[in-house]
Amino acid sequence: MSATPAFDEMRNADGSVREPYLVLDAWLKEQPPQALGLMAADAEAIFRRLGITFAVYGSNEGTEKLIPFDLIPRIISAMEWRKLSKGIEQRVRALNAFLHDVYHRQEILKAGRVPEKLILQNSAFCPEMMGLDPAKGIYSHIIGVDIVRVGPDDFYVLEDNLRTPSGVSYMLEDREAMLQLAPELFQRLKVAPVENYPENLRRTLESVAPNSARSTPTIAVLTPGIYNSAYFEHSFLADQMGAQLCEGQDLFVDGGKVFKRTTLGPEQVDVIYRRIEDDFIDPLTFRPDSMLGVPGLFDAYRAGNVTLVNAPGTGIADDKAVYTYVPEIIEFYLGEKALLPNVPTYNCTDPEQRAYVLEHIGELVVKEVHGSGGYGMLVGPASTKAQREDFTRKIIARPDNYIVQPTLALSTCPTYVNAGIAPRHVDLRPYVLVGDQVRITPGGLTRVALTEGSLVVNSSQGGGTKDTWVLEE
Amino acid sequence: MKISIRHQLSFAVGHGNAHAVQHILLTPLDGPTQKVLRWSIELDGMDRAARIFDAFGNSAQLVSQIRPQGDLVVTVEGIVETVDRHGVVGRLPRDPMPALFRRTTPLTQSDLAIHEPLRDGARKGGNRIELLHRLMGRIGEAYGIGADDEEAHEPAAQTQAQSQSSGGEQSQEQDAGVKPEADATTVTHAFIGACRALEIPARFITGYLAESEDGPAAFHAWAEAYDDGLGWIGFDSMLGICPTDRHVRVASGLDALSCTPVRTVPDLGTPQAHGLSVEAVAQ
Repeated sequence: MSATPAFDEMRNADGSVREPYLVLDAWLKEQPPQALGLMAADAEAIFRRLGITFAVYGSNEGTEKLIPFDLIPRIISAMEWRKLSKGIEQRVRALNAFLHDVYHRQEILKAGRVPEKLILQNSAFCPEMMGLDPAKGIYSHIIGVDIVRVGPDDFYVLEDNLRTPSGVSYMLEDREAMLQLAPELFQRLKVAPVENYPENLRRTLESVAPNSARSTPTIAVLTPGIYNSAYFEHSFLADQMGAQLCEGQDLFVDGGKVFKRTTLGPEQVDVIYRRIEDDFIDPLTFRPDSMLGVPGLFDAYRAGNVTLVNAPGTGIADDKAVYTYVPEIIEFYLGEKALLPNVPTYNCTDPEQRAYVLEHIGELVVKEVHGSGGYGMLVGPASTKAQREDFTRKIIARPDNYIVQPTLALSTCPTYVNAGIAPRHVDLRPYVLVGDQVRITPGGLTRVALTEGSLVVNSSQGGGTKDTWVLEE
Repeated sequence: MKISIRHQLSFAVGHGNAHAVQHILLTPLDGPTQKVLRWSIELDGMDRAARIFDAFGNSAQLVSQIRPQGDLVVTVEGIVETVDRHGVVGRLPRDPMPALFRRTTPLTQSDLAIHEPLRDGARKGGNRIELLHRLMGRIGEAYGIGADDEEAHEPAAQTQAQSQSSGGEQSQEQDAGVKPEADATTVTHAFIGACRALEIPARFITGYLAESEDGPAAFHAWAEAYDDGLGWIGFDSMLGICPTDRHVRVASGLDALSCTPVRTVPDLGTPQAHGLSVEAVAQ
């Protein structure tokens, strides 16, 4: 769809194979004609057994679907990963510093480096968080940073996810499946492990327990329940960490502390990894009609008797309009230039930029400021005239509600499709844990747009996943 | 002035609730305009309550009961010594950044007709205190609060005392041509909305109003607006004055919702105000 040919991560323009893919290429050539087809069938059986499903909102084809898995791994060299992980660590440190500042002294606003209105009038800003000091000063402990690649050395951060990023269970299950499908490949290549993610998650959560907690803090995963699209992941992570999976009704607040109902009586909970959105976590402080949360939870958090992971109000740091200021945020708090650049972004409230956007809408990507999951989005080159006219009207009516970016030629990776192996566009979501230290799982979740030419990788829009291999030196 | 306060609220809990929790915002703090000599809040579960400072610097309690039955009664008693500083509160140690109080909320939308004529004055950076007094005057006119209308507003202030847990959900309905109904919450929201539209930080204040020859005791509401020089200054649009030593300041927030004196889950509705007495005591 894009005018410039996309960078292919396996093959150079002359058809030669890039160094990190040499072993995989040789292995693929060794496979008998039917082998990949059989492996794909095996993979499907493995995933059915693992039970990984996701729900597509608004879908008529039943609520649960198997997320498509592509059996050809994506490979990242050790050197490429070093560069990426440094940039990611810099970003999450700066964003946590930003969160502490906007909920305390607001120096960055006073300095005029980020517009005050953009933060204080933003619906993602949580006034109730003002002055609260979370354990170890960390607000966002579990972060997914969406990265796209457009060239051998050109990586861009597409967005930061500091609220409740999902998908890490796919990363783990994709690896599990690959280990079963192609064990010999792991003998030929030194692939950095991802299997310790649940253990690292547990360590991270334990490290941010309140000071009053016992030496082994009690951890609960708080889920909205079985109808949530990521319920599988909630139960999977709780199980892997050896933590309790709870719904709001399983917990209660008494005497300013949070307890879980158990058959042996109430057990105090120290850390809650909550997968419920801010508005719904506590009807006493936030939405009074919420049936999902725990009444009094936020005050118990404020009293320092429990840690919420992630903290409420972290959405102000991954708001799409705030995103354009992240390089500024990194400089302000760390005094360093951003190691990973942002995708250039047009601000539609600026008349000149808006005029450019409206004239070139067919070439651009338009995103709703508060949209996610690929909903409320226009990919210019793949759009119809009616869709472009619709978005033109929307941008004129509410320019502040949209950000616009060039259509990036996302890199491609070899992907197993009906016709054999063909390049498909991919992105990457590495998962970052921030606690007593920053722990970045090597690789992350690669999402692949399975339709030829498509740039939309979201699972809700027909995307699949791949195992992501970071090579060790 | 020494002011003695006794305030009792009760909620019908009913049966069948495994738990009830409350967020209580009924504790005044010491400041330039007042010193709390004695204060107590009685309520089932208070002995185990978590005591916290909320986002706006208020002293709050998180109280809970297991299998509550019958009525939940909150009894507040205390003595506060007040000083008339013409409304100037200044800066309090736990105040969040003033800029926070430029955030508009659904309850603090401004009426263009009220704030727009003042915009030029606000922009030119003239005397902010004078501007705020003019704004209070405009609010008074808009809501029909005036010196010749003493009797009309007093019962309305009392209404506020009766419905203090409603979180500012007073009816906003207005008939064309009829001046909107004035009660302390409504006019305070209007004042705050206008301030914020003029980019002046403004916050909602709840507190007690001592009875006097000019009016009865009330659980009351007024606003504070921010001046870079003097800090926070009170404006009681309902009475058309800056708060005096009859005002005991209890809590501040973005709007009535964030200052609700007793929030409860399960929602127990509007409390029955059993009794309220706010009296000056002999020195």
